[in-house]
Amino acid sequence: MSTMDQTPRSRFSVIDIVKTPLVVAVALIVFLLFLGEYLSPGFASGQQILRLLIVAALMGIVAAGQNLVILGGREGIDLSVGGVVSLAAIIAGNLMAGENSGIVLAIVGCLAAGALVGLINGIGVTLLRIPPLVMTLGMLGVLQGLLVVIRNGIPSGRAAPGLSQFVTQPFLLGLPGIIWLWIVIGICMAFLLGRTMIGYRIYAIGSNEQAAFMAGMPVKTTRILLFVLSGMFAAVAGICLLGYSGSSFANVGEQYMLPSIIAVVFGGTPLSGGKGGYTGTMAGAILLTVLQSILTTINIDESGRQMVFGATLLLLMLFYGRGKALRA
Amino acid sequence: MARLAAKAVSKTYGATKALRRGDLEVEAGEVHVLIGSNGSGKSTLCKIVAGSVRPDNGELLFEGHPMVVSGPNAARKIGIGIFYQELSLAPHRTVAENILLSDLPGGVFVDRKALNTKAQRYIDLFKNVTGDNFHAGAIVETLRPDQRQLVEIMKALSSEAPILIFDEPTSALDRAQVDRFFEILRELKDDGRSIVFISHRMDEIFALGDRVTVIRDGETVATKRIAETDAAEVIRLMVGGDETLTAAEPHQPTAVAATAKTVLAVDALSGDGFGNVSFNVAAGEILGLGGLHGQGQSAVLRALFGATPPTSGTVLLNDKALASSSPRATINRGLAYISGDRRRDGVIAGRPILENVTPVHALKQRLSLATPSSLREKAKPALEALRTKFAGFSHPIGSLSGGNQQKIVIARWLIDRPDVLLLDDPTKGIDLQAKTDLFQLIRKLAAEGMAIVLYSSEDAELLGNADRILVFNGGSVTRELTGADRTPFNLYQAAYEAA
Repeated sequence: MSTMDQTPRSRFSVIDIVKTPLVVAVALIVFLLFLGEYLSPGFASGQQILRLLIVAALMGIVAAGQNLVILGGREGIDLSVGGVVSLAAIIAGNLMAGENSGIVLAIVGCLAAGALVGLINGIGVTLLRIPPLVMTLGMLGVLQGLLVVIRNGIPSGRAAPGLSQFVTQPFLLGLPGIIWLWIVIGICMAFLLGRTMIGYRIYAIGSNEQAAFMAGMPVKTTRILLFVLSGMFAAVAGICLLGYSGSSFANVGEQYMLPSIIAVVFGGTPLSGGKGGYTGTMAGAILLTVLQSILTTINIDESGRQMVFGATLLLLMLFYGRGKALRA
Repeated sequence: MARLAAKAVSKTYGATKALRRGDLEVEAGEVHVLIGSNGSGKSTLCKIVAGSVRPDNGELLFEGHPMVVSGPNAARKIGIGIFYQELSLAPHRTVAENILLSDLPGGVFVDRKALNTKAQRYIDLFKNVTGDNFHAGAIVETLRPDQRQLVEIMKALSSEAPILIFDEPTSALDRAQVDRFFEILRELKDDGRSIVFISHRMDEIFALGDRVTVIRDGETVATKRIAETDAAEVIRLMVGGDETLTAAEPHQPTAVAATAKTVLAVDALSGDGFGNVSFNVAAGEILGLGGLHGQGQSAVLRALFGATPPTSGTVLLNDKALASSSPRATINRGLAYISGDRRRDGVIAGRPILENVTPVHALKQRLSLATPSSLREKAKPALEALRTKFAGFSHPIGSLSGGNQQKIVIARWLIDRPDVLLLDDPTKGIDLQAKTDLFQLIRKLAAEGMAIVLYSSEDAELLGNADRILVFNGGSVTRELTGADRTPFNLYQAAYEAA
């Protein structure tokens, strides 16, 4: 009397679909584009949208790592991403020093630095059992100090022309390389989370760490890996940011910490972890970028934008952030 | 006239009909047992009566008058006290505070003295059976599970309500505690109180109940006087038409040939909560671990599995040393461990059924890619063997009833056959149907040559399935029951023998 093939109850419901974070985010993006166009004609022009996408890609790449760490649960969060972005921009700028020949070395160096920061974060969180919030905040402080020492207050390093071109100039089908890179990262993330056992493991650990452990999953290794990936994604964003701005300047990465978290939550991954995915996060990153741009258009300065972002995160927590009690 | 009556109440959550048509009549001065498999709707019916869930249809009558229960407070005013299956204690507060949580003495400030005096009355009811370190000022977090359950019971009793509802109150208790609890309930009944009691244990139902109401698939099937029925009939009512599944037939131990190969040899194993435990398990053998609750049975199994590695002793698996350093290590060597605490150790809540059923398979097969179609095919036979009911692999595991969730978790271990199956009270809180299905499968697995170690808090499960029973007391094995010695009397006696 197996009833395995029982017809499932129809789970199609318009309301459910409309309520998914991805749909909400996309709807808001469209709304904001119209609003921007209304406030300042030309806001939603093709060129302008392309520019917005480049900026969104930078934020989105940082958010990919943030997304992984948050999915892994146990209050997972990486506050050090901004520091890693800055650090990578500095390292890359100095290693390539405006020469295309230094690009490969720069990429390798930055990824290694990002991975190292992530590894230390991961070890602190798993083996030393330091709460992620504290661990990564402390790491952020260390990185900020390190940056001051390295730079000594003077902007240093220059992007190689090839890198700047990759980030800002059309590369394929009129889109710059960074957008293609982001698309590839999006596909890789979807594959990782949905079609690999590491993905299953990430969700399992985020949902019920004890059960994951009892099923033989390497809980600590996986969690360390998440922090390492987060450091590496932030490093990639740092390199791209250097290409975008030409040279690295004071705390260039700092602006990414809060938005990377908001993008993840906006995209439907609750801060409690265990569910969600990267597609929504990508939409969240675009949404935040458009919002940022509109705020700039209507002459709200950086501090005002920060306030709007902070309030957005708190507001989001009301809708998505709090994990609903699961029937288990 | 019934003191409390629910007539044709129903409740739907989303697409799930939790209760189609629940009827319940409770008289003054009776213990009314409510029984039904998990997901049959008995907990929902209780919650409706207790005011924590509002019915969609039907009516509730209190002494003949329609009553509207708008919430738990309203129910308490009417005179209904409830013990919830999910422990609802404040872990950082004292025993006394928890007992009187809804009715703390004093005004703005809590009157500690009155609090402790009042709470002591309920603690004294369980004098001598509460176990060590149990007093009014003890912090709940520091207590053992059985002691926490006692606090929950005391909390329900402290409502002094004319109608008391207990939703599986004895799952963590040992026998002495259960006996005392039943004595208390009988006294309350004699005082004219009405008691609604939900249990999966047949012996409890017949020891305590006056009448029994059976719920099946969200509908009340029958109400019987206990004196006029028997276990077989109750099970028949619960299960419905299918005669082959009625009662757990008494198990004749499979004569494990003396030549059968020893698969697992445990020698002088010690660890947290047990010491100097030795035993062998042969291929095809079901070794039972018995005794009172919490005497080290679970601890031994968890240590063998590597969840809390043992501190000393040796273990041989298929004649080769087994280092129980982590579950990952022991799973790779061919061990499987099924916990009765599925919420803590098993269910990956909020994730699809597919992700819940495949992790062990992925580990053993060294899978790095997840191909849903092939994983589904691998998982199907194991799920079918357990008669798991589910609509689709992509549905979250939380959409299933407790029994079916446990089946998903069990199936996880059976996709690739382990050599040794460790069962740690695997049927805790699941319905009779699921239990029957599980034990049928366990015996089949043993017959096919798997070595099985079974700890169960239900003696009937041990007697009905185990070839040998090791009785635990105070963390070590105090007696071994084999062959014709495996009687309820011997088991009971061995469990109560001083260690």
